[in-house]
Amino acid sequence: MAKTKKKTAAPKPAPPSAGRAITHADVRMYRIGTGDCFAIKFFSGDTETFTMLIDCGAWSGDKAVFEKHVRDLKAYLNNKVDVLVVTHEHKDHVLGFERCADLFTKNFTVGKIWMSWAEKDGDDVVEEWKKDIGQKKKALAAAAQQLSKAVHAKGFEAEMRSLHRGHERLAAHRRFSAVLGDFADLQMSLDKNGLYAGPLAGMKIVKEKIAKGGSGASTIAYWSPGQIIENIAGLEGVRMYVLGPPQNKASIAKEASSDEGETYSHNKDLAKDNAFAAAVNALDAPTTASLLPFDASHEALAGDSIRATYTSSAWRTIDHDWLMTAGSLALRINTGLNNLSLALAIEFETSGRVMLFPGDAEYGSWASWHDIKWKEKGRGKHDDGTPKHLTEDLLNRTVFYKVAHHLSHNGTAKRKGLEMMTHDDLAAMATLDYEVISDTWKSTMPNRAILADLLTQTRGRLMVLRDDGLFFDAKRKVPLADKIASTRAQMSTAVGKAFKKAHESPKKTDLFIAFRVLA
Amino acid sequence: MKHPKFRELRGYAFDPSLSLKIDTVTINEIVYRIPWEDLSRGPVGECVEVIDVDPTVSRFYASVDLDDRYALAMAGLDPSESNPQFHQQMVYAVAMTTIRNFELALGRKVLWAPRRMGGNTDEYVPRLRIYPHALREANAYYSPEKKALLFGYFQAMPADKTRHMPDALVFTCLSHDIIAHETTHAILDGMYPYYNEPTNPDVLAFHEAFADIVALFQHFTFPEVLKHQIAKTRGDLASQNLLGQLAQEFGSAIGSYGSLRDAIGEVDEQTRQWKPTEPDPGDYESELEPHARGSILVAAVFEAFISLYKSTVADLLRIASGGTGVLHEGELHPDLVNRLADEAARCSQRVLSMCIRALDYCPPVDLTFGEFLRGIITADLDLMGDDQPQYRLAFIEAFRRRGIYPSGIKALGIDSVAYPKVALLGVDSAQMFQKIGDFLREYRREVQYLSDRQKLFEQSAAFSGGPRGLHSRLADKFESLLDFQQVTGMAWTPGWESVGVSTSPQTPDVPSFWIQNLRLVSRVGARGTQTNNIVFSIVQRAGVKMVGDRLQPVLLDEQQSADDDTMIFRGGCTFVFDLDTVTLKYAIAKPIIDVAAVGAPRLDEVRARKQHTYQFETGPTNMSEFRQYFGLGFTRGINEPFAVLHQQ
Repeated sequence: MAKTKKKTAAPKPAPPSAGRAITHADVRMYRIGTGDCFAIKFFSGDTETFTMLIDCGAWSGDKAVFEKHVRDLKAYLNNKVDVLVVTHEHKDHVLGFERCADLFTKNFTVGKIWMSWAEKDGDDVVEEWKKDIGQKKKALAAAAQQLSKAVHAKGFEAEMRSLHRGHERLAAHRRFSAVLGDFADLQMSLDKNGLYAGPLAGMKIVKEKIAKGGSGASTIAYWSPGQIIENIAGLEGVRMYVLGPPQNKASIAKEASSDEGETYSHNKDLAKDNAFAAAVNALDAPTTASLLPFDASHEALAGDSIRATYTSSAWRTIDHDWLMTAGSLALRINTGLNNLSLALAIEFETSGRVMLFPGDAEYGSWASWHDIKWKEKGRGKHDDGTPKHLTEDLLNRTVFYKVAHHLSHNGTAKRKGLEMMTHDDLAAMATLDYEVISDTWKSTMPNRAILADLLTQTRGRLMVLRDDGLFFDAKRKVPLADKIASTRAQMSTAVGKAFKKAHESPKKTDLFIAFRVLA
Repeated sequence: MKHPKFRELRGYAFDPSLSLKIDTVTINEIVYRIPWEDLSRGPVGECVEVIDVDPTVSRFYASVDLDDRYALAMAGLDPSESNPQFHQQMVYAVAMTTIRNFELALGRKVLWAPRRMGGNTDEYVPRLRIYPHALREANAYYSPEKKALLFGYFQAMPADKTRHMPDALVFTCLSHDIIAHETTHAILDGMYPYYNEPTNPDVLAFHEAFADIVALFQHFTFPEVLKHQIAKTRGDLASQNLLGQLAQEFGSAIGSYGSLRDAIGEVDEQTRQWKPTEPDPGDYESELEPHARGSILVAAVFEAFISLYKSTVADLLRIASGGTGVLHEGELHPDLVNRLADEAARCSQRVLSMCIRALDYCPPVDLTFGEFLRGIITADLDLMGDDQPQYRLAFIEAFRRRGIYPSGIKALGIDSVAYPKVALLGVDSAQMFQKIGDFLREYRREVQYLSDRQKLFEQSAAFSGGPRGLHSRLADKFESLLDFQQVTGMAWTPGWESVGVSTSPQTPDVPSFWIQNLRLVSRVGARGTQTNNIVFSIVQRAGVKMVGDRLQPVLLDEQQSADDDTMIFRGGCTFVFDLDTVTLKYAIAKPIIDVAAVGAPRLDEVRARKQHTYQFETGPTNMSEFRQYFGLGFTRGINEPFAVLHQQ
């Protein structure tokens, strides 16, 4: 049994049956690209008792690239996984299911599929929400496409270049358009014209093909925060806590509660774009009266001089400027979907050690975890003797953290997150890879403050999917790899040895990075 | 029959939401008085053109004819949210009011920023374009690229449904505060285009703050509003009132509990109660976000006003209360309300003018709040002499309470805060300024009676850059101008390339520099004395790279802009010449060179380093998420900086 560090006297959980006590979990971070694909094997001694696969995706990658990794994954898992978790519907988490649909549906058994409550098709409230966000996604794609056409038009380029510092302005416009397009690409399926073509194919394949495989019946379980998953066959002595996504049935419905405190803000956020989305979605359709802000009688007559005045200075026309509102729409959709990630804390009951897999949860989600009304309190106590809220307690006991959202600023809460991860054995894995990433994301990942905090708190036990091209400092003088190495060099002999053992067995390869978490 | 002096146009003093409440409906609809000008449909006037195109649904809305006789008879169209022609009318009325107030305070005509073409030519832009229905977003912004104001409309999502109908359409073009705010951005851009470039945390914050200040103090020019609020607060303008708040409807429509911004206090989200904000000098040190930082400056200026108002009306309150200073319960006597309102109007007018005039006494680049304070004090001293020092003291005090101090001064008295008058200097310099003085008198003769803006622009351009213009005259007199270099902080003496300043392409024995904002300013000061100044700024730029820990000057070519490693370092100087005595009164310098160094010019390393740290470290770390994703980095362009600044 591994040596464990107990901070407080824990309530005694039932001891696992002899011989089946879980001793460790091997985590493999597959290195497909910026994106998550985690295989977890739970062991009792040398016996493998339970397997999990959490997401399979990357920002981009063709079938050949994915196949390499998926074949290795399947071999590692012996073509069978007890639980497949799909945290949320973003391309960098589900692309693999699309690219390697055949590999996942043939000769691959999935015991159960776990998703968040927000994925439950057929639920009234979820359906309405999906309709709404579907409209917004449609608008995002259409706006991105229109804007792209506008900034790549010949006339536009010539006009920009005629201006003072024109090349810089042109670059700025094109950058905006590119980022918008990347956001659109991440959230949904696009057809060959760049327009909305439905939900991401990978997600559909999981829900329709993989779910129906094997027994034929749908085997998807939808989880809500506050639920505790226990007594799982093969996982004696392990409990899983569902932290997110935050849920308030009333809040997804259009008639949101007016009490600010109860409403989950991302739903209200989407409503900000109702007028915009309606207009964009009507671009290629005849305008309905409900879309117009004024009665038709107020429209300009044919001979109104103002039309001529408008077009007389072509450089001052604003035909496309309004599409830039899609920028904030994109951010809202992206954050909204990130915050719908299924966030799980996996606890080894005897020792209390926790593995945290939050998907891409952003601050809004993290904050909500602390408001969950758990049915029990935490083991740890505050200074005044009152027991801690279970969420804070779980964070205190976290020894493995899958960094949310690829080391972006919003992905890891500070006060309500990282600062509570105080366990000495904390290790973290981050799925950031500059070789396979949207160019436009490089400006937001990694966030230096989070990077620095993580390195300190893990004592260097930070494993990045690919650290090539990443720098620790803003001036880009200190390569991240060097900084990690120097931080690890400061470990005490014992700690260093333990890390080496956990990290290099099995060996790190081109295909994955592995780490052993002791129970 | 001669044309009338004014055109009256009805509009909202605040925004439509106040017309829905019994308490405020009577004061919300006011009559704006615009100096008469010929208008064509739109309306399109001399310096503003309203174009009501809605690109979101590809529609034009019928343009209003304000010369229609029914419109003339009734001071324009009836205020109506559902009639776009009224929106056009309101936007025109408020923009013109803002412009006029500026012109009165500045003492000259407002000119819009020209269109800067490649090859360094400037195209004159006669009219600011206003698009009342340009976007579908809770946003409105000034576009420096298009020299236009774009106003958005959106569906309300109120936090409190009792205050605002959800899903109702809200038009930002119907908010006096938003129109005045955006117009001010445009005016400021016309004066100091480099105030768009964030070189320190105060720059963008200043743009926001100044626009808010103008919008706020315009509230005090509406007599009915003023009286109403004075009656309501019983004369205590430091308590919650509409005068100190901006954009009520917008604020509540996007889900806040109060207005969008409040100069005096805020609504506590938990208790839903309004409470005044206590000034905290820590905020100025830590707050980097432009709105929040700007609101510190707004609060400071508003506090200066309140303290002046209080001291001015102290005697009235003593009289009204029989010497106790404590007014009786219940409503104030209407005579008292009127007198208090008069004093408030006078005070606010003075405070606003002080802020606007200060602009002529500010450096053309890299402005800080402390320098703005120095500009306020210097401008007021210059115009008023020793009269009424309490105004200057109130500003210094209010800024001090928020930890805003000018750098480089030894004490906080009025005479230390004000910029020192230029003490000349060697014989060469004195002679040079004599010649420049003659030249400037010539300029004054040409433009003094010009009222046509385009002619003003063309004459100013000719005198700045033309063959006999100021540019070549300054270029002529360079030989031994170490004094000039000291006073202005510009790199004039040989060796300018070693600090990264390029040589002028036209005249190879002279460094590159630009002349901006050459204007004649006439103001009437205390006791009716008239001052005549000519104001212009000179700007230079250098490229700077950080190599290891050292700053290295590099030469920039015409089109080269900042990139990942190179920073554009600008320096400049605003000159205030007194035309009557032909002397240089003030040279408000933001040096590009180290003025303490002797010998060949050396870069001002301290300031360059500060700017570098801000533009490459602090700034990027504190960028909004929007800018992080959609921008090209902190130093390089994001198109529409004001749109991003106003993101909700």
